[in-house]
Amino acid sequence: MSLISRSRPAPPPALADPRRPARSTQGLRGWFRDPRNLLLAVVALVVAYLAIVPAATMGVASLQSQFLSTGPVHWTFRHYTETLGTADFWTLVGNSFGYAAATAVISTVIGFGLAYLVARTDTPAKFFAQVAALVPLIIPGILNTVAWALLFAPHTGALNVLLRDVHLPAFDIYSLAGMVLVQSMHVTPVAFLMGTAAFSQMDSSLEEAALASGAPPLRVFRTITARLIRPAVLSAVLLMFVQTISTFEVPQLIGVPGRTFVFVSRIYNALQAFPTDYGTVGVIGVFILVVATLGLWLSRRLSGPGAGVQTISGKGYRPTVTELGRWRWLGLAAFVLFFVVAVALPLLMLVWSSLLPGYEPPSWSALHHLTLSNYREIWHTPGLVDSVRNSLITAVLAGAVVTVLSSLVAYITVKTKARGRGLLDGLATIPLAVPSVVMGVGILYWYLSMPLPVHLYGTLTILVIAFVTIGLPYGLRYIVPGMAQIKDELEEAAAASGASWPRTFWRIYVPLLVPSLAAAFLYTVIVAFREISAAIFLYTQGTQVVSVTIYQQWSNGSYPVVAALGVVIVVFLAMIVAIVRLLTRRFGLNRQ
Amino acid sequence: MIEVRGLTKRYPGRTVTRNAVDGIDLEIPEGKLVTLLGPSGCGKTTTLRLIAGLERPDAGEIRIGSRLMCAPAEGVFVGVHHRPIGVVFQSYAVWPHMTAVQNVMFPLQSGQKRMGRTEARRRAMEALEMVGLAEFADRPAPALSGGQQQRVSLARALTREPEVLLLDEPLSNLDAGLRDRVRDEIRSVQQRLGITTVFVTHDQDEALAVSDEVVVMDHGRIVERGQAQDIYRCPREEFTARFMGISNSLPGTVQEGGQDMAEISLAHGRLRCLTPAAAPVGSRVNVFIRPESLRLSRKDSSGRGWKGTVEFSIYHGDCWDYHVRVGDTLLRSRMYREKVGLAHGDPVFVVPEEETAIAIADKIAASDGAVADKDESWAK
Ligand SMILES: Nc1ncnc2c1ncn2[C@@H]1O[C@H](COP(=O)(O)OP(=O)(O)OP(=O)(O)O)[C@@H](O)[C@H]1O
Ligand SMILES: [Mg+2]
Repeated sequence: MSLISRSRPAPPPALADPRRPARSTQGLRGWFRDPRNLLLAVVALVVAYLAIVPAATMGVASLQSQFLSTGPVHWTFRHYTETLGTADFWTLVGNSFGYAAATAVISTVIGFGLAYLVARTDTPAKFFAQVAALVPLIIPGILNTVAWALLFAPHTGALNVLLRDVHLPAFDIYSLAGMVLVQSMHVTPVAFLMGTAAFSQMDSSLEEAALASGAPPLRVFRTITARLIRPAVLSAVLLMFVQTISTFEVPQLIGVPGRTFVFVSRIYNALQAFPTDYGTVGVIGVFILVVATLGLWLSRRLSGPGAGVQTISGKGYRPTVTELGRWRWLGLAAFVLFFVVAVALPLLMLVWSSLLPGYEPPSWSALHHLTLSNYREIWHTPGLVDSVRNSLITAVLAGAVVTVLSSLVAYITVKTKARGRGLLDGLATIPLAVPSVVMGVGILYWYLSMPLPVHLYGTLTILVIAFVTIGLPYGLRYIVPGMAQIKDELEEAAAASGASWPRTFWRIYVPLLVPSLAAAFLYTVIVAFREISAAIFLYTQGTQVVSVTIYQQWSNGSYPVVAALGVVIVVFLAMIVAIVRLLTRRFGLNRQ
Repeated sequence: MIEVRGLTKRYPGRTVTRNAVDGIDLEIPEGKLVTLLGPSGCGKTTTLRLIAGLERPDAGEIRIGSRLMCAPAEGVFVGVHHRPIGVVFQSYAVWPHMTAVQNVMFPLQSGQKRMGRTEARRRAMEALEMVGLAEFADRPAPALSGGQQQRVSLARALTREPEVLLLDEPLSNLDAGLRDRVRDEIRSVQQRLGITTVFVTHDQDEALAVSDEVVVMDHGRIVERGQAQDIYRCPREEFTARFMGISNSLPGTVQEGGQDMAEISLAHGRLRCLTPAAAPVGSRVNVFIRPESLRLSRKDSSGRGWKGTVEFSIYHGDCWDYHVRVGDTLLRSRMYREKVGLAHGDPVFVVPEEETAIAIADKIAASDGAVADKDESWAK
């Protein structure tokens, strides 16, 4: 055996501890003797439990004659035939698809358009667009929705007052168009981020080659740039679609008052009714699940040849910048407009309403009523402080669990050659395809129906479970690349120094991964803190989280307190985001 | 024909301290292949991109044929897609969403002179045939190997019959065997079509193999230019001599001048050397001797040998490199024969071959001003 000529040392043996080679041959018992294999088994079970349970429970509920009842239960397609047979259901499908598709297309078009301007042109003041891109991380969806509802309230909304002043018809936000507007503004920044990544990673020599072939710039854009960016566009459209179809706040706050129902609001209202029709909810849930999964699969198919090809090349790579000439002022105008609409308007509206005892549209006379009393009121609103505490506890716990779990998953999938790691990788990404309402309802059903030894329904644990499942794919997104950057030799050197595997993990991987771990933790905390679409189905008296409280206060009509609380939350989350940015920039997240 | 006058380019940025291309004058005769040769970062790619129109120069003029392509002083700038060029990129830049033949058809269907599908396909197939890829025409581009992609990119650059072909390190991503094949292919196609070509490389062997003329660059300037064999046989500048791998350099004094040749006295003896420029008697020179021009023998039969001891040897497969200490200098000698059986500490005679070493005037000794100049250039 040659020790020096091997260009890359073999990965750590997955099946056996090298110091005890004889025992590795003892089949299954030997397999379990390696702590890493045991770990793989445990992690895989945990992840499988988290990923599969909600969706599977939903499916079971939709196929049982009775759910959560003491009577005899048998399997049936009755719920499907009944639900799918009604015209009402197909109106629901039409509404939901129209709403999600329009939102997905609009936000992707705007997001990628702005991304092109930022990544590939000399438009000045890219700062505006970049700041606007951070907003979805900072403003929880429920607050964004509240802000827009205030801006466009039929009679008193600031923008409607403005429209009426210039003799234009007011905009009715409580409509399908209103839902699309609010949701698009909320998700466009995500599309923008995806677009920026796609445009700046594209090898620009592909475009230069087309220019050098004599093709005029517009044609190059059409035949090369647009075509190469297509997979990214498709996956963005799809992601926006799935997010939109599965989130709670806009359908409930904007759609329901205008009697425009979509899947989520129908599920929510069906669960509020008594007796609850679990079967129908299950059918709608399964329907959403199927649509989301199909969408994901489709995007892979549609991206076509060249999709999986890396268009990023190392040497000779330079991002080219198109000079827009005088048109760049138009680009600047687009930035400013986007910034104003997506960031400034909702934020200013929140701040404005938080400073008034009762809502009134901005005017000089209203200035006399400005007060900070709403901020004091936050402390006196029953349940509010409790819900903030609940949110903090669940978010931090979920963050910690996700960080540990995803670093183990990342280790197994990236660093070992253990059998079954592909399966684990697949399992860990399942939650991406499970819409959060399905997650919420599925978890609810499972813990209501299962005769588990510990009773979890009505505890904060059930919320943590939901947040962990939702946060897992995001945690992996931070930790997998970090793990991949750590050379195998570092672990091997530790093993060669006689360190046991757990010790190696603790002393080598953990310190090297600190920036990724911190980013994954903080990001999960943010995600959990803002979450409402699953939480709304899982909270009970005493386990309310802050997003749910905002929703309830809003339903009760206490707008000013909601706004004040919103401002406080935005400031708090902005600080966390600033820390994440600082961490990822400081450590670059690409230490070799 | 390409004509470049006073071409200057500086990249914006606070950390940029010097021009990437610093006043280059160049003319490339019709139908010739000229290589730009130089170390990494010397501005080869930038020069090529300026000619292609992918960058805008800060100063200078570029003409292709008789047409003025760019002259910042007069506000003239012809866009890339209006220039009669074909470019082969270092990373191939073969479009991954098209097949090989679609890649090659693109310039014919999207360029300035457009033609129908069937005609474009016929011409594209001709081009693919020329680079020996006709059978792969309908393969998706990503399913081609690196060498095949590089040839697709060559065919694509050639289909629309450009006046000028620009190649940026076209061979650097290929493995050794393939490199020679593609290199020969490029040269044969270029000579067959008689197309004016600029070929960028940092590999001197590659440059010597393909070029009609070699332009050696350093720090954004042209150091010297000449026919491949002249640059190899008798470089005029120390930089070129070192870059071409002539690693032994010894200080000496001119004893006797002559036509192209001079008698130089060195610390260990006398040697007849080539002189690229007139060398006045008594002037100080540096003598550059190729490792292959130093022969080793145990006995000094010719009487011209320099006595030394073997320090160490390195085996290259087809030759041995012996490092021999003569006085206080370490000389490298390359032997193409079987191992002479020399080991560390063996006494040996180094016999320099006459009339192959090059004596280049020592600029440091020539003037004090030059000393400062040189120091600065190294400090950069
Ligand atoms: N986009 C850029 N911005 C700033 N500086 C640049 C840029 N591109 C090149 N440079 C600098 O200009 C100089 C010349 O670069 P160029 O790419 O022309 O070198 P090269 O001779 O092609 O080198 P190599 O053999 O490594 O490809 C280098 O110092 C490089 O760092
Ligand atoms: Mg280069």
